[in-house]
Amino acid sequence: MEGVNTWDIVHVPSKPRFPPDNQPTVNVFASAIDPKFANSIVRRLNQIAPLENLRHVKRVRKERLEGGKFQLSVILCLARDGEDHLKTIPADMLELTSSYQLSAFITKVCGFPASSKEEWEEQCKLWPTSYHPPTYNIDGITGFSEEDAQSVCSFTRFALQLAAISGVAQVHNAAVIVDPSVKQVIASACDDVFYGQTLTEKTNSHNSCHEQISHHHIDLNGAATQTAPCSNGKPNELKHHYGSVSCLHPWQWSKQQAYTNSCYWHPLRHAAIAAIEYSAARDRQLYPGPAQDIDGFSEMEQVQSSLEDSPLKRQKTAKDKDDARHEEDDNDRTLKLPRPYLCTGYDIYLVWEPCVMCAMALVHQRVRRIFFVFPNTHAGALGSVHRLQGEESLNHHYAVFRVMVPEESLAIVK
Amino acid sequence: MESPSRSSSSDDYRYMQLAIEQAKLALETLEVPVGCVIVESGEVIATGRNRTTETRNATRHAEMEAIDDLLHRWQKNGLTPPQVAEKFSKCNLYVTCEPCIMCAGALSILGFNEVYFGCGNDKFGGCGSVLSLHSSSSQTPQSGSSQSPPKRGFKCTGGIMASEAVALFRSFYEQGNPNAPKPHRPVLHQLSQ
Repeated sequence: MEGVNTWDIVHVPSKPRFPPDNQPTVNVFASAIDPKFANSIVRRLNQIAPLENLRHVKRVRKERLEGGKFQLSVILCLARDGEDHLKTIPADMLELTSSYQLSAFITKVCGFPASSKEEWEEQCKLWPTSYHPPTYNIDGITGFSEEDAQSVCSFTRFALQLAAISGVAQVHNAAVIVDPSVKQVIASACDDVFYGQTLTEKTNSHNSCHEQISHHHIDLNGAATQTAPCSNGKPNELKHHYGSVSCLHPWQWSKQQAYTNSCYWHPLRHAAIAAIEYSAARDRQLYPGPAQDIDGFSEMEQVQSSLEDSPLKRQKTAKDKDDARHEEDDNDRTLKLPRPYLCTGYDIYLVWEPCVMCAMALVHQRVRRIFFVFPNTHAGALGSVHRLQGEESLNHHYAVFRVMVPEESLAIVK
Repeated sequence: MESPSRSSSSDDYRYMQLAIEQAKLALETLEVPVGCVIVESGEVIATGRNRTTETRNATRHAEMEAIDDLLHRWQKNGLTPPQVAEKFSKCNLYVTCEPCIMCAGALSILGFNEVYFGCGNDKFGGCGSVLSLHSSSSQTPQSGSSQSPPKRGFKCTGGIMASEAVALFRSFYEQGNPNAPKPHRPVLHQLSQ
C-alpha cells in the first residue's frame, strides 16, 4: 500500500475496477457489411448468435472513412481461442457470411459493461458499447461535498482512535455506526473475540447500551488529537502485528488460550457484529414497545423476499403476498417516524475491510454505506476475496468506500 | 475425525423434525420460521430459532442463537478456545433453510463438521446458492498472497424435509400481519389444502 499525503474517499464499485485503458476484452468475429443489408443481417445474427453475455456491446459499428463516407461493421459471433480462429466459426454463421459475401476478421471488444464514463470512452475506442450510469444513487458514489467529506474523515478518525484505545495489547478492528443525517454516533464497538482487559460494556446489553448512547457527546474533531501509542502504520508490511484483528484472521480464534478464567470470549464477536448488537439494543431501549411495530420486515431478510430496494418500486410492483406485506409495513413506519428500522440510512466506519460474515451481517441490518481504511486481502468480502456489494441476488445493497488516510493521521493507530 | 459416512438417514429426518419444531415456535411468535438443532455424537446439544424481529437485530438467525447458547455453556464449564474448537469440529447442524452467507461464514469460522438443510435459499444462501462458503477451496484471494489463513469447509447436504420447511414459510406469509394498522388485505385463515 502506498503512503498517501491527503485524505481521499474512494468508491469501491460493485464490479472489479480495471484501469480504463486496460479493461478485459474478448475476441469476436466481425465483418464489414453493406448498409443496405444491415437490417436483415442483424436480424439473422440475433437469431443464430445472440450476444448473451455482451449486452453492453453494440452489434454494429459505424466508422467515418476518409472522404466523409461511412463504413458499417457488424459483430458476427464470439471467437474461441485456438490456433486457427477462422475454423471455429459455426456452420450457420458460415452460411450467412457466404450468402452476403462477408469476410470475417477478428477484433477485440470489452468484456464487461463500463462503470464510468471514462471507462466507456476507452471501450468505444475498441468497439462501441452502451453505457448506463448507475440507476441507484447513494450519496458519495458521485463524489462528496466538502462538508460530507469532512464528516467522513472525522468518523474515520474516531474509528481509528477506538481501535488504538482497544488495542493496548493487540490491534483490533473497530466499528462505528453513524446516523449521517444528524452526524451522530449510534453505536460503536471493537473486536470482542477476546477481551481480557476491557470488560466494560460487554457483560450485558443494557449497560453497553448506555455506554454507546453516551458516545453521542464525543467531540469528533477533538477525538483524533488525543494521544495514543504510535507506529508508522503500513498494515501490509507489519502483518504479523495484526493477527488479532478478527476479520483478517477469522479462523485463528481456536489457537488462542483464554487469558484468564474470568475473561469472556466469543469467536464471532467481530467489531461489526458487536456494533450491530449495540445498535439493536439502543433501538430497543429508545423505542420500547411491542415488537409487532416492526413486525414482518426484518424477517423477510432471511428468505424468499422477492423485493427490490426502493420502497417506491416496492409499492408499484406489489403483486404477491410478500410485497403486500411489505407495503403494510411501510405505512406502519411512516406513521411512526422517526423510529429507525434496523440500520436503514446509517453508515458504518471500520478500520479494516470486513470478512464475509460481517459484510453479510451489514446487508441484513440494512446499512447504507460502509467506509473502511485498510483492505483485507485474505478474507475481505467487499472487493478483496468476495464482493457482496455486487451480489445481485441480495435484497439490499450498500455503497462501499475506502478512506485513504494520510500517514500522519495513521500514526494514532496503535 | 469421523469418516464422512453416517449412521443412517432416518436420523437425519429425526433431527430435521426437531429443527422444524423450532421453526414452528418461531412462527408462533411472528418470526420468519427458521429453526435448527446442533448434534454432537448423536445427541442434540442445542436448539435455536430465528429471533430477528424480537431483538430488532437482523443477524439473530436460528444458527446464531444455537451457537451462542453453546458458547455460553461451554465457557461456563471452563472450556478453553482450543477445546471449544475441538467440540465444534464434532458438531453437525440441522437447519430448516440453507444457511445465509453470514451464517455459512460463521459455521466455517467455528469449524462445524457437517451441515444439513431443508430448502435452499436463492437470495442469500452461503452453501451453494449465492456463495459456496462450505467448500474450502472456493475462497481464492483475487490478489496474490503469500500465506493464507487456514480456511475451513464443511460437508453440506440440502433438501432434507424441504417441503415442510417451505410450507412453514408459506403459512408465515399467508397469516398476514394482524397488527398492521390498515391492512391492505384481510388476514387469511390458514388454508388447509
